[in-house]
Amino acid sequence: MLAEGIRAHRWWIVAAAVGFAVLLTAPAYLTPFQVRVGQLFLFSAGLGVAWTILGGFAGYWSFGHTAFIGLGAFVAGAFELHVPLGSPVATMVAGTALGSLACAAVSAVIAYPILRLRGIYFAIAMLGVSQVFAELTNNVDAFKGTMGINMPNAVPASMEPQTFFYYVFVAATALTLGVAFWVKVSRLGYGLVSIREDEDTARMLGVPTERYKIWAFVLSATLTGLLGIVYAHALGYITTGSVYRTDFSLNMIVYALLGGIGTIVGPVLGSALMVWLTQVVLGRLLDVHMFITGALLVAIVLLAPHGLVGFARKLLRRGAGGGA
Amino acid sequence: MSAGAPILRVAGVSKRFRGLLAVNDVSFAVPEGSICSLIGPNGAGKSSLFNLVTGYLPLTAGAVWFRDRRIDGQGTTAISRMGIARAFQIAKPFPELSVRDNVRIGALFGREGPRDVASVVRDALQLTGLSDHAGQQANSLTVGFLRRLELARAVATRPALLLADEPCAGLNPTETEEIMGILRQIRANGVTVLLVEHDMRAVMGISETIFVLDAGAKIAEGPPDAIARDPRVVAAYLGAPAEG
Amino acid sequence: MSLILQTILDGLVLGGLYSLAAVGFSLIFGVMNVVNLTHGVIVLIGAYLAYAFWHGLGVDPLLAIPLVMAALFAFGYVYQRGLIQLAVDRSSLLASMLVTFGVALMLRNVLVLVFSPDFKSVTPSYAFTVFFLGPVTIDLVRLSALGASLVLLCVLAGVLRWTAVGRVIRATAQQDLAARLCGVDVRHVYGITFGVSAAFAGASGAIIGIVVPFSPPDEALWTINAFVVVTLGGVGSPSGALLGGLLLGLISTLTSQLIGPQFPNAMMFLILVVMLLLRPSGLLGNAFSGSR
Repeated sequence: MLAEGIRAHRWWIVAAAVGFAVLLTAPAYLTPFQVRVGQLFLFSAGLGVAWTILGGFAGYWSFGHTAFIGLGAFVAGAFELHVPLGSPVATMVAGTALGSLACAAVSAVIAYPILRLRGIYFAIAMLGVSQVFAELTNNVDAFKGTMGINMPNAVPASMEPQTFFYYVFVAATALTLGVAFWVKVSRLGYGLVSIREDEDTARMLGVPTERYKIWAFVLSATLTGLLGIVYAHALGYITTGSVYRTDFSLNMIVYALLGGIGTIVGPVLGSALMVWLTQVVLGRLLDVHMFITGALLVAIVLLAPHGLVGFARKLLRRGAGGGA
Repeated sequence: MSAGAPILRVAGVSKRFRGLLAVNDVSFAVPEGSICSLIGPNGAGKSSLFNLVTGYLPLTAGAVWFRDRRIDGQGTTAISRMGIARAFQIAKPFPELSVRDNVRIGALFGREGPRDVASVVRDALQLTGLSDHAGQQANSLTVGFLRRLELARAVATRPALLLADEPCAGLNPTETEEIMGILRQIRANGVTVLLVEHDMRAVMGISETIFVLDAGAKIAEGPPDAIARDPRVVAAYLGAPAEG
Repeated sequence: MSLILQTILDGLVLGGLYSLAAVGFSLIFGVMNVVNLTHGVIVLIGAYLAYAFWHGLGVDPLLAIPLVMAALFAFGYVYQRGLIQLAVDRSSLLASMLVTFGVALMLRNVLVLVFSPDFKSVTPSYAFTVFFLGPVTIDLVRLSALGASLVLLCVLAGVLRWTAVGRVIRATAQQDLAARLCGVDVRHVYGITFGVSAAFAGASGAIIGIVVPFSPPDEALWTINAFVVVTLGGVGSPSGALLGGLLLGLISTLTSQLIGPQFPNAMMFLILVVMLLLRPSGLLGNAFSGSR
């Protein structure tokens, strides 16, 4: 299956390889500000793709995925604070692994009950979950949610912090893309898509819907957590407010919607466009960020419900001439 | 005519919805390798019976046997994987996927799992005459083609038993004949078929055994010519009182 | 003992507000199946309008309620006909929910720009008048808040039950196709329903303003409150909203009294999630039939 999937998507894979080659060399000729924008793009694209594994493939739209950004960040942070290992890099690696594992474990525990909800009820329940996690982080002493945690500094002396985290983000995002691609072309991916299209019929065809939904949820949550942990390290200092952010939850959906829901390239394009718009074009208009995000959201849903990818497909189909 | 041992045996099955007894102590057996039909007026309990057999609804009483395994109480997914496929009366394709991907999902998850997926998909498309439409999005198909897709997807799961729920409803005589041809071909490939259908001419022409339901109970069973002459069946359909 | 009584009384006052703030959300959900995530921000707009009337013209917030309601009725009607209906026609319900979310962000941003992100409050002259009822104390502000909430809920219940408009709204909620066949202009009804919903949300905002301080980011909380109220009490009726609201009010004051002042929100979300899982049809069995 994987071989077949690779063959069918070989041009996408080539494009992704070229893209990552460019990304890897980019810090050599970018300004520090641009490198930071690059970080944000990688983080956003990774989040959008991680969200897509559940929301785009299986059709279970989570409105609270920031729960896993926060959970991962705080578990990693608390561990690194209390159990420093020999070298800072080893501490960071161990904390990252533990935080991601925590996301996997917690998502596996809540998956079964919460995935029995469908549509908006699942969406809102996830919003609830993220709020509960945030409140608990604020009130559980080990996490120091309100006071915040200083993430131990793991940046090698020879490197600029923004460049170091840029490369860490490249790795995390590449991993996320790889996992998402593997899911997409595997049996799991087809099963998830059939769940999105019609869950009852999927079950009738023998798709193990419960198990597949749980897999998608856990993979999505773990990758979201991993990205969140990297983000926390890049921030250097985290509070509940800086990692449990409802706008993260929202942005993941916006990236996917803007680019094209259910595809992998969609959230990548969507995040590129959004990051470029908000950081570069509107960088000085911080006051109206929220207004513009909202307006964009409304515009996408009304004007391009299938996103940039859907729009491009429509153009291609029209260009091909006479196709139905 | 009557082939081997029963592949499906429904034994004393009842289903009660609140006060209503939708299926009342129904028993019948479908011989392996045959085409059998379940007929009856609207509301006789045919679709409910399909829902019970496929595990969509729990039974109130009785048992369902597939070969020598008791399957009632098992989940829909498990029953599907044993080799029972269902084609819905109201076609339920995965609307935004291509015809090929619809069928592929059947092939990936059916009884034998993901083996020879490409050739299973090709065969199922060919059998149902959908090869030329493989790339089309399912929600752009006409009703007749949707029914074929429904059958193609069911066949791709490589079932031993196919439950076809009114595959010809709303189709014209030519299309009906084509669907019947597909069902015959499916049987020739070794799949037992249990059909629910309203088109009497089609049913009489294709079935080896017919079971007649009325008001939730089985009122007759037999080969087509005997059923056509059975006064209780005639009465059930025409609403006249039964003789004797 | 008197502490518990006091807590319960505070819970009921808060609950009355929650009920009124949620009733419009519930109505829209019941009539058109739209989850209106703009609801919370409309509540806040009500609060800010009352604030503006108070500080600009010296109009008492409770007396300003009719003005606030009229303004927001117009807003709700136009919003539904101009935007929500478009979204519902074009795409899924989930997508229409995103449109309401987008608008909520825009309006919240506007509130920040106009009124600043700081907390505001409205303190009418009677803000510090206090009564003693045996062992418990109640201030005039809270008493009038509870009274106004209950009166407005009764007004809405009466409108829905006894007026022609109310009957049409209820008929459309049950069977929009049938209503359409009977010659009802369903879109107009939807517009009116949205208007009514916004008007009552605004009224609740005006009352909230005199009881608790408010700031633009609160809008998300008011939306989620409404969702919880509907989950508890059931969809589409003022009585369901009243039940759900009072329960939520009691839950939140009791939690903060008995468990700790920082936990009411966590408890509320926990109840939301648990209710969705265990009793998706609400306590009275008429909410969320389609949740799974």
